[in-house]
Amino acid sequence: MGMNILVCVKQVPDSADTIELCEGSSRIIYKEGTVFRMNRYDEFALEEALLIKECFPGTIVDAVSVGPDRVSLSIRKALETGADQGIHLRVESDQYLTPFARASLIAGFARAGSYDLIMAGIMAEDDMECQVGQILAEMLCLPCATSVIFQEMSKDEKTVYVEREIEGGVHECITLPMPALLTIQSGINTPRYPSLSNVLRARSQKIEMIESQMAAALIMDRTVIGLGYPRQPSAGEYLEGTPAAKASALLKILHEAAIL
Amino acid sequence: MRRRFYIIALHAHGKILPETYELISFVRDIGGEEKTGIILGSKPGIVMMARELAQKTGMDIICATSKYLENYNAQGYKDALKGLIDCTDPCYICIPHTATGFDFGPLLGAALNIPCISAIEDVHDGVLIRSMFGGRIHARIKPPGPCAILTVQPGAWEGSAACSGPAGPVRIVHSDISPGKTIIHKLKVPASKDVGFADAEVIISAGRGIGSEQNLALIKRLAAMFQRSAIGATRAACDLGWLGYDHQIGVTGRTVSPRLYMACGISGAVQHISGMRNSRLIVAINTDPHAAIFRVASYCIVEDIKTFIPLVLEEYSRMSGISF
Repeated sequence: MGMNILVCVKQVPDSADTIELCEGSSRIIYKEGTVFRMNRYDEFALEEALLIKECFPGTIVDAVSVGPDRVSLSIRKALETGADQGIHLRVESDQYLTPFARASLIAGFARAGSYDLIMAGIMAEDDMECQVGQILAEMLCLPCATSVIFQEMSKDEKTVYVEREIEGGVHECITLPMPALLTIQSGINTPRYPSLSNVLRARSQKIEMIESQMAAALIMDRTVIGLGYPRQPSAGEYLEGTPAAKASALLKILHEAAIL
Repeated sequence: MRRRFYIIALHAHGKILPETYELISFVRDIGGEEKTGIILGSKPGIVMMARELAQKTGMDIICATSKYLENYNAQGYKDALKGLIDCTDPCYICIPHTATGFDFGPLLGAALNIPCISAIEDVHDGVLIRSMFGGRIHARIKPPGPCAILTVQPGAWEGSAACSGPAGPVRIVHSDISPGKTIIHKLKVPASKDVGFADAEVIISAGRGIGSEQNLALIKRLAAMFQRSAIGATRAACDLGWLGYDHQIGVTGRTVSPRLYMACGISGAVQHISGMRNSRLIVAINTDPHAAIFRVASYCIVEDIKTFIPLVLEEYSRMSGISF
């Protein structure tokens, strides 16, 4: 018994403060010193996979990521956190990939892996698209639930009960047959920190590297025609002066609005 | 050939959801003229809703029925829509970017082999705009082919006004779909604690940018300056365990519109903004002058809350003679 679980982890810049746009083009430039880390939603997905592994002995958790060389650091982090194996689907470009391209690459790998469960974060913090998991499910003909805030695997590992968070604080409750794909909403658990033994184990572990040739054609599928900074509407007034002057100005505004 | 815009209506508990009408305003802004509404469900309730939609919008409505569409399920929606929509002619399929819409939208795109552009929040000269990096960057998008799925951010457009003209025709079709592989159970409404949003005139909200849980004390002291105040939070602050999810404001939390909303250390992701944009006065405090929250704020203060809030408290104490 035990399952094979694949967790899709994406690497994202730690903060939007270290990105810039290349003048006149649609390229994002990661400034020197940009720190990259695992997408937070994927951390919740990984933790949920590790919790399943603890309940179902014999379960193997693989972590897969699509991206350039730097992505291997986030895969290493997944191993340190407790994943058994890491797979790097390497692409040259550090630029935007369509969700279809990302899902195609992962599907190409996952097809051969006979996974019982595939998990991913509900979305990536950088592109914010909420799509890769669903497209991957469709490509692999798996039933899929998004925005999962609770899951419980049946003892026989044949079904999984999930609660999806929908609008208005309501949970939609579904039982999916396995194999299945779940995209995980934040807050489902508290992601753990790497343990020393896992950090030591991960240090010597090899990450399986797969060169992704197929991406070249998919990268050409450009839907984004440009990037820009959002326009600041004129409505908002920036308070000026020293911090103390701003504090006085704010109190005056609140007083005049009869709030204070 | 003119492009057809399919407007996929979403409904819950026998009511058409307001996001459906926001799609109509979106299609107007993108210059779409040929509109067809599609609503899916099981008889007899769905036919009533289809008629209401036809009355309120004047659109042609396709009402797809199946006993397997009695409850929302991604597979049923995907299969039924795939059977109804012919992608040999140019079309955009418009879906609200709600937890339901983004559940089946990308699936449908993959099934029809057309791209899905998600979480659209603006349109400029026919170009679609969506946020990246928490609203820091806007991507301009033109779907590469004649057909695409477009999911539209809730709250980004006002709902269209009811149409004064005649009701559009309703065509009822039976969707010959197979039963879903999933079992749908009853909806669950988790118990929640009242944190006083309903009575609050002032809401002070904390985001990840307040830096640490310790700094919540400052937020609470600031809130104590006002008589009827409550503490709000972004999803990120709740995920960090700083505040319970009952405090969460935004798409998956509560929607509020107090007299004063103070956003402290909140970057302003569109999911949060949609829960507070209708507040009467919005004051935002953030160290990043480009933070998206400043786009909806009436007053923008580029400061660190750790140093700024104490100054406000001090100044107010001096003015009022009360210490906070």
